[in-house]
Amino acid sequence: MPQNEHIELFQKRYGKRLDHEERTRKKEAREPHKRSQVAKKLIGLKAKLYAKKRHKEKVEMKKTINSHSERNNKHKVEEKAQPGAIPAYLMDREQTSRAKVLSNTVKQKRKEKAGKWEVPLPKVRPVAEDEMFKVMRSGKRMKKSWKRMITKATFVGPGFTRKPPKYERFIRPSGLRFTKAHITHPELKATFQLEILGVKKNPNGPMYSSLGVLTKGTIIEVNVSELGLVTPGGKVVWGKYAQITNNPENDGCVNGVLLV
Amino acid sequence: MQYNFKKIASVPAASDFIDVVLSRTQRQTPTVVHAGYAIARIRQFYMRKVKYTQQSWNEKLSRILEDFPRVDDVHPFYSDLLNVLYDKDHYKLALGQLNTARAMIDKIAKDYVKLLKYGDSLYRCKQLKRAALGRMCTIMKKHAASLAYLEQVRQHMSRLPSIDPNTRSILVCGYPNVGKSSFMNKVTRADVEVQPYAFTTKSIYVGHTDYKYLRWQVLDTPGILDRPLDERNTIEMQSITALAHLRAVVLYIVDISEQCGFSIAQQAALFHSIKPLFANKPLVVAINKIDVRKLEDLSAEDRALIDGMRDAMRGPAAMQLGDDDALPIMSTLSENGVMEVKNRCCDLLLAHRVEQKLASRRAGEVMNRLHVATPVPRDSKQRPAFIPSTLEASRARKAAGEKIVTEKELQEQNGGAGVYSADLRKRYMLENDDWKYDIVPEIYNGKNVADFIDPEIEAKLAELEREEDELEAKWEAERMDREPQEADLDEDERALLGEVRTRRNKLVAEHRRKKAAGNNNPVVPRKVDHERKLNTKNMKSSLESMGLDATAAVERARSRSRVVKRGRSMGADASMGADDANEDGKKMRTSKSRSKSVAKRVKDEVGGGLKSVDATLRATKMADKAQRKRNKLAKSGEGDRTINTKLPKWLNSGKRGNGKTDRR
Repeated sequence: MPQNEHIELFQKRYGKRLDHEERTRKKEAREPHKRSQVAKKLIGLKAKLYAKKRHKEKVEMKKTINSHSERNNKHKVEEKAQPGAIPAYLMDREQTSRAKVLSNTVKQKRKEKAGKWEVPLPKVRPVAEDEMFKVMRSGKRMKKSWKRMITKATFVGPGFTRKPPKYERFIRPSGLRFTKAHITHPELKATFQLEILGVKKNPNGPMYSSLGVLTKGTIIEVNVSELGLVTPGGKVVWGKYAQITNNPENDGCVNGVLLV
Repeated sequence: MQYNFKKIASVPAASDFIDVVLSRTQRQTPTVVHAGYAIARIRQFYMRKVKYTQQSWNEKLSRILEDFPRVDDVHPFYSDLLNVLYDKDHYKLALGQLNTARAMIDKIAKDYVKLLKYGDSLYRCKQLKRAALGRMCTIMKKHAASLAYLEQVRQHMSRLPSIDPNTRSILVCGYPNVGKSSFMNKVTRADVEVQPYAFTTKSIYVGHTDYKYLRWQVLDTPGILDRPLDERNTIEMQSITALAHLRAVVLYIVDISEQCGFSIAQQAALFHSIKPLFANKPLVVAINKIDVRKLEDLSAEDRALIDGMRDAMRGPAAMQLGDDDALPIMSTLSENGVMEVKNRCCDLLLAHRVEQKLASRRAGEVMNRLHVATPVPRDSKQRPAFIPSTLEASRARKAAGEKIVTEKELQEQNGGAGVYSADLRKRYMLENDDWKYDIVPEIYNGKNVADFIDPEIEAKLAELEREEDELEAKWEAERMDREPQEADLDEDERALLGEVRTRRNKLVAEHRRKKAAGNNNPVVPRKVDHERKLNTKNMKSSLESMGLDATAAVERARSRSRVVKRGRSMGADASMGADDANEDGKKMRTSKSRSKSVAKRVKDEVGGGLKSVDATLRATKMADKAQRKRNKLAKSGEGDRTINTKLPKWLNSGKRGNGKTDRR
């Protein structure tokens, strides 16, 4: 015991006060009332947070109580139903598997129609041109409007040099350029920060692919040499495709899933 | 440099920390933004939030990093103590993590502010802000463990005794249970716990004592066992740290009785094994518990061991003091020799410190500025100090063995505090001692009060009181005689009284009704109100209610409007009494019935140019309805054109949170 723990020292020397037990008991007994008062008075976000927290606690409490009372409960040993078992009242019916076959074919067709990509995000929201581009005014009187600025996140290769302003139709602002992406390996269930090598395909159109626009659903090529993946032939893989799963311009980072 | 670790602010747990910072952002930055605002304004709004959050993280983390002492900067004693208690690596790692977290948060803020500059909608800006704050909080959530560790360290540190490593101090060490803490308790007021088992003291304790008008720090260390350094536990390591780094006098206590469970041989062995730690420090070896076993009772071998320790303790400082060879012996139980041991320690350390100072480079600078004056007597005249004769006398009495009875002792003899009252006159200095207990006259305005006291005053007072009682009895009897006459009222008076009371009750009821209803009701002009209208009927009833005869007044008022009738003269009316007026009423009624066909008659209730009762009722209803809207606007009537405060300050200033629509 360090020197300055006066309370502990006092209790060691003279004991606790005589009504200590009583007081602690009462304090404990008052606790629910106090909590309910707090719960009644809170409003807004605080109230929401409090309710959520309390709900969690209650669930936890119930679980512990149940687990404690488990051994007191009398219950029959229940056998688990076999897969494919049917209740008695359905025994004499004939099963038809036709419906299932039909729905399968429908699904297949839909899938084909949707696109040929077997990717985690098969469908994306189409992005309109005026959402993608902002019109830049140019010219001495600021009346020419052939220039466009891309408002989404972009990938620009390391060797890129800007064209002279007269010929530069699309501007990719340097503040929205990304070179790294957080890619999740779906089998390893681990996320790595990997370098982007290039944009393979933007679902909104080939022009966006060539401009290197990173929107949700875009397929990018990432550098996986750090992961140490190996081809069946034994070579180290260093480029692999991944699909972007978030809206980089809203989140400030690029997240994606590796296509394996 | 002061070593006070009590001022470190508490380190909140990660979840609390996040709550604090986020709610601060919410409270200190604007909260209202609309999509319709200019985009620059929206961007600025969210940028401010991100920057503010980053700032408050930075502020709070910097505070923590500043508050905690850096292990390399503090005195080596503290640096080693921190290492022993909290593990230096862990401590540094925790602080380092917070430092990197701070840098990362700064970077995130920078990045997201940059991205926010390209935000083109409220939604996008909001998402970016959300991501930024989320990432900052995630970083801090990851450091929950180090925050918790730092909080524990802080709590422990704040309870560390404040040891000044540079001041004069006595360091008490030895085997467990040899009486280190008992020595501490005897010498200082620290009130350390003493128990008859080993390792009662688990950390370094500090007490202060006084010697030669200087303040001395006494450090009580936990007991040390004789084993290699790497096997020592945390408790022992604290003592070792203190021994290694503090420039103090070391007091090594030896338990001569061997009650502590360690033989003298073992204690001597420990002494020799830790001797390197005593280098360059004055050292005193004190023999404790001589009340149990005398120094003379020791066997020859033990005696030799103790002498061996004594030889080691003779340092240059001890030599300079010209100290004798006698081993300091003491008994903390019977308090024999404790003060001698303390004084010896203090003397040794003082000599040592002076010696060190003289050896230092700065000593020369100071020395040549010093001059010690030794005054030479100017003549052979003796000038002894003046000692008052009373003092000499009292000294003589004391020397003769006379017991001086103190006031406190008197009090104890005579019933203790609260019962005994001190005799204040005992020490009065008067010409004649017999006068001490004389009664002192009371003087008022230069006159003796006793001279003006009538000796028979008591008798006179008694006489007066008796007379007063008699008179009172007489008056009482008279009153009793008078009262029955007062008691009953005659019939008329009772009726009058009843009337008065009912009228008063009515007035009160009326007043209350008006007050209850009044504020909302339109003020009806007297002209239209047939209750208050100025007509003869109302005048008459009011006059009569006051008990006046109203006939003449009514007559005069009506005389102009009434058609002058022919016939009997009405001159006698003026002198008519109340009974006659009744008859006259009858007459009036008969005459009225006779002229009933006359179309001029207008009903009493109908007034203000309205044809019928229905019309009146309708009119009042309409008036009420018209007033209803005005009531809502807090207007008293159609003439009320007051313009009240349009924007009450209290209702329109300050932030409007949840449920703050009509109070702030």
